[in-house]
Amino acid sequence: MQLLLHLQFQILGTLKKVLFNFLLTKIVTLLKFPESLSLFALFGLKLMDLLEYQAKELFRQMGIPVLPSQRIDRPTDLKGLRIPFPIVLKSQVYIGARGKVGGIRFAENTIDAIAAAQAIFHLPILGKYPKVLLAEAKYNPDREFYLAVTLDSATRCPVLLGSQYGGIEVEAHLQHMRQVIVDQEFSPFYARRLALKMGLQGKLIASVSAVIEKMYRLLVDRDLDLVEINPLAVSANEELMALDGKVTVNDAALGRQPSLAALVAAIPNQPNPNPIACGVNIVELEGDIGVLCSGAGLTMATLDLLQKAKGKPANFVDLGGDYRHCCPPNVLQERLKQGLDLITQTKGVKVIVINILGGVASCLQVAEAIAAFLKWQAVNRQVPPLVVRLVGDQFHAARNLLAAIDVPVFESTDEAIAHTMALVTENANVTGKRSASLMLASA
Amino acid sequence: MNFACYQKILVYGIAEPLGALYVPKMVAYPTPIVAGVSPGYGGQTIEGIPVFDLIEQAVEVVGAIDAAVFFVPPYEVLDAALEAIAAEIRQLIIVTEGVPPLDMVKLLREAETTETLIVGPNSPGIIVPGQILLGTHPAYCYQPGSVGLISRSGTLTYEVALELTRAGIGQSIAVGIGGDQILGSSLQQWLQILEEDDRTEAIVLIGEIGGESEEMAARYISEAIDKPVVAYIAGSTLPKGQPVGHAGAVIAAKIAGLGVEIGTAESKRLAFEQAGIPVADRPSKVPKLVQQALERLGRDRG
Repeated sequence: MQLLLHLQFQILGTLKKVLFNFLLTKIVTLLKFPESLSLFALFGLKLMDLLEYQAKELFRQMGIPVLPSQRIDRPTDLKGLRIPFPIVLKSQVYIGARGKVGGIRFAENTIDAIAAAQAIFHLPILGKYPKVLLAEAKYNPDREFYLAVTLDSATRCPVLLGSQYGGIEVEAHLQHMRQVIVDQEFSPFYARRLALKMGLQGKLIASVSAVIEKMYRLLVDRDLDLVEINPLAVSANEELMALDGKVTVNDAALGRQPSLAALVAAIPNQPNPNPIACGVNIVELEGDIGVLCSGAGLTMATLDLLQKAKGKPANFVDLGGDYRHCCPPNVLQERLKQGLDLITQTKGVKVIVINILGGVASCLQVAEAIAAFLKWQAVNRQVPPLVVRLVGDQFHAARNLLAAIDVPVFESTDEAIAHTMALVTENANVTGKRSASLMLASA
Repeated sequence: MNFACYQKILVYGIAEPLGALYVPKMVAYPTPIVAGVSPGYGGQTIEGIPVFDLIEQAVEVVGAIDAAVFFVPPYEVLDAALEAIAAEIRQLIIVTEGVPPLDMVKLLREAETTETLIVGPNSPGIIVPGQILLGTHPAYCYQPGSVGLISRSGTLTYEVALELTRAGIGQSIAVGIGGDQILGSSLQQWLQILEEDDRTEAIVLIGEIGGESEEMAARYISEAIDKPVVAYIAGSTLPKGQPVGHAGAVIAAKIAGLGVEIGTAESKRLAFEQAGIPVADRPSKVPKLVQQALERLGRDRG
């Protein structure tokens, strides 16, 4: 067996080397679609980017060169500016390419700066207004590099990325992007290896690898998912300056990074900074079937099957969280109630399908929770018909309990889906007839 | 790697809420849990299992341990797992969700030098139907047989196992590799383990959108796996930009951005088809495809 394991590790090693072209594709889109990040606040799993001024504060603490800058909360703050003109004013939003829409402006004096700040504060970028601006000394780079440190789940190692073609050119020159896998304990030679792969020479080898090393330490010290500097400005005399930066916080580690948690908590419109919280999340779609399942895989499979049967999910809730410490599975019943409550609050839900499998609660316990929800809801509002799929201990008792309140229970997902679709069709026919008779009446 | 013949299993975090919920089910299976570890609970007995403060104390009393299952809170996983490796346990199953990725990077470096197999985190673990349960798989979904299941999901593994069981097709082993961002073992590692497992005749691979692990697995199968493989992929109709649940899928999708071919159900289905692997369009189709694969195998042998 030891030999077998040994072989596997060897295979893994070879795979690591072969599979790295995937990473390039990843980076393209990391650059292309920074706005996509906001879409991932689902299921208690959040990807949190710090704002630029927060990222730069971390850079400063690490000794990564950044320009003198000042946080601007309101235009009048510019009267007390401590950095010399000319300055750059930058909208602090999570969206890339803010420069193209006017989120970055230059100013030569206080009057211009206040006017520019007012304009930026009133400029929505993809619907979001900045709460904060960053005033920064103006800098004229000779060249711009790209640097990043991130984690790769395929190789299960940190990776260093770099290109001599940074700034907005990085996409067009992706073939110049170089990468180094940190497959053992980090040592600065990994950073030098990247600098050389990037084609750097002379004193830039030492200065750029020093920045990479600091980025790596930042990633490790603060449990981050990504540290990116783009552009890293290079002056005519080869001095370096991080002009823009991105830091992505790791949700799972936030609980042991109190200073980061405080930063994240200060960001407007950010989800709960608690690491992997126990809350139930709903995802809204556009159909008429409510979906509640246990576990991400089963949720996806159930949504797929509904769509295959020409059903249209209105929303879905994944109870999940069986292995979360803050949320042991014995609170499944409570989470089920919360989930149903969220689903029934969505307008236009005609049928709700519940698909529960595994976990420590018996079928009867789940059925009791459903019955309790219906009883509680009967007082407040009408609940659409439910279709339930359960498997396991005390199935028959559960089925009898729910049958008594007209909730059908099935043992297979396919059956539950078929019954759900029958109800949707029936509902459509009833509504069709109703509107037909309405038309008749109005005629 | 014959999990079924394991005699001595240790549960780390036996006094934790998760341990308290799942240990009775493991004991009932019956899994030979000979020791529990929960610092501060040494000397107590939980579910008839002696509890120790430190793994090495347990080893002194019960002897060498074959595998350990972890229910400790996420920030304690790295330390507990390193303690297990130091006590020469070479199979670790981490059930806990939300282990910081950099802890996993550190742990995997240690695992690689000691040739330790790690399953998880955020994993239902391993079940050898009728023999042993190293994790949280619900026993009622499984029956002994010759089909191996490898999955990125927990509940979807149970779903596919249940369909196989109802169709009269038993399973040799089922493993959920876990849903966190950085995982101890990959689909490829498990494909290799099942390829070499004498009791496994066919393999079912259960994938989902996000990341590139299915694409990598498909390539590995065409290069290194001789046993028939059937696949199922969940998430084909999920709107773009809405990855579900598993951190691995979410993070990978984030880095992969939107609109990229890698990571979609379509890209995974294509990868499997190019490798000659039939892909079921729903869990209930898996048994039929497995049946056909086994029949082909029978004909080839005959």
